[in-house]
Amino acid sequence: MIYADNAATTKLDMDAFEAMRPFLLEEYGNASQPYSFSRTSRRALKDARMTIAECIGALPEEIYFTSGGTESDNWAIKMGAGCEGEVITSSIEHHAVLNSCRALERAGRSVSYLPVTREGIVCLETLESVISERTKLVSIMYVNNEVGSIQPIRELARAARQRGSCFHTDAVQGVGHIPINVQEAGVDMLSASGHKFNGPKGVGFLYIKNGTGISAFMDGGSQERQYRAGTENVAAIAAMAVALRKNCLALGEAREHLGRLERMILDRLRLSGVDFIRNGGGKGIPGNMSLSFRTMDGETLLHRLDLKGICVSTGSACDGTKTQVSHVLRAMKVPLEYARGTIRISLGVRNTEEEALRIAQSLIDILK
Amino acid sequence: MKIKCVACGKEGLNKDTVGINKKLLGNKVETFYCMDCLAGYLDTTTEELLEKIEEFREEGCKLFL
Repeated sequence: MIYADNAATTKLDMDAFEAMRPFLLEEYGNASQPYSFSRTSRRALKDARMTIAECIGALPEEIYFTSGGTESDNWAIKMGAGCEGEVITSSIEHHAVLNSCRALERAGRSVSYLPVTREGIVCLETLESVISERTKLVSIMYVNNEVGSIQPIRELARAARQRGSCFHTDAVQGVGHIPINVQEAGVDMLSASGHKFNGPKGVGFLYIKNGTGISAFMDGGSQERQYRAGTENVAAIAAMAVALRKNCLALGEAREHLGRLERMILDRLRLSGVDFIRNGGGKGIPGNMSLSFRTMDGETLLHRLDLKGICVSTGSACDGTKTQVSHVLRAMKVPLEYARGTIRISLGVRNTEEEALRIAQSLIDILK
Repeated sequence: MKIKCVACGKEGLNKDTVGINKKLLGNKVETFYCMDCLAGYLDTTTEELLEKIEEFREEGCKLFL
């Protein structure tokens, strides 16, 4: 099997797995309990918070553990929006953001959805044309999950700050894959998910800059300084920190490796004469390739590749009568005849050159 | 009209067989393979195709309802 869907989830890192083991077996003490048996759990939480903060240039007390990217996004948007004022987001956000914004709209709030360029980029000028003193929250993703485009977060966050708005970024696809420093980026909140960077599923975090006016999302106990109730998943949190640190230490190496694999696949496809376009223009996150083929439905391609033991994603879905193109490809105005035939190949550091060549050859065999 | 397998001539291809042809070869195909010939053409097994049909049905694909 060739796994090339790393934007969906990643394989758990073995060191991360080993970091979980003691907290699943012997060290099961509730970190909120004051007795000495829970000391190891409390220390693990503290260490993980510190490690994660270091990886993104934050302070440890600015890291709040959650159940993953979706919870982090829900918290940032629903609580970050406060009780009044407008919200701005983009038309290519993940559904965790889009549907949180829809919930705000149902509650009577005004939300603007910014258009993007053909490359899947939110332009500063577009934000500046919409933002005003009434804007309470701006939420723009760091890296798009379908096409891998990297947003100009620093510029967008600065524009929000100048208007006195809070800026949140869904960085689920970026954290652990590209260098991210919350202070340099100037963001107030940032969402991340453990399983996107070789950590376990069901755990993530929300960075909340000190002084950001946001209330608790989960009511209950006093965990996470009373901002996120619920007994901490110590094993997963410890593992997430190990995985993030490992990924951050190897970013340069990974970039080089993934770039090489990308070029191998694209060169092969171009040489073969297959009619395709690469969405996002290739300036995005390393390893993420959204390719649109003119002659075949994306879903058909996905299943044909699956029969050859290759896992990828599609940018369209067919219910047997009609092919639905994703909201991201529609926002980017990808021509329909190509958009229907879109697949996302998202490579990971464990993919090999041999696998890249097999992916390319399998595509050629199917399409020719 | 009875639909025949384009490869072996087997007659009476059912709705699921026609559906899986459309799903894996493209919605616009006009000729169809029987399950065994389709599995051979795609270098897979009939069992794998039957699994796919069940998954498509569970997803609500109208070709298999």
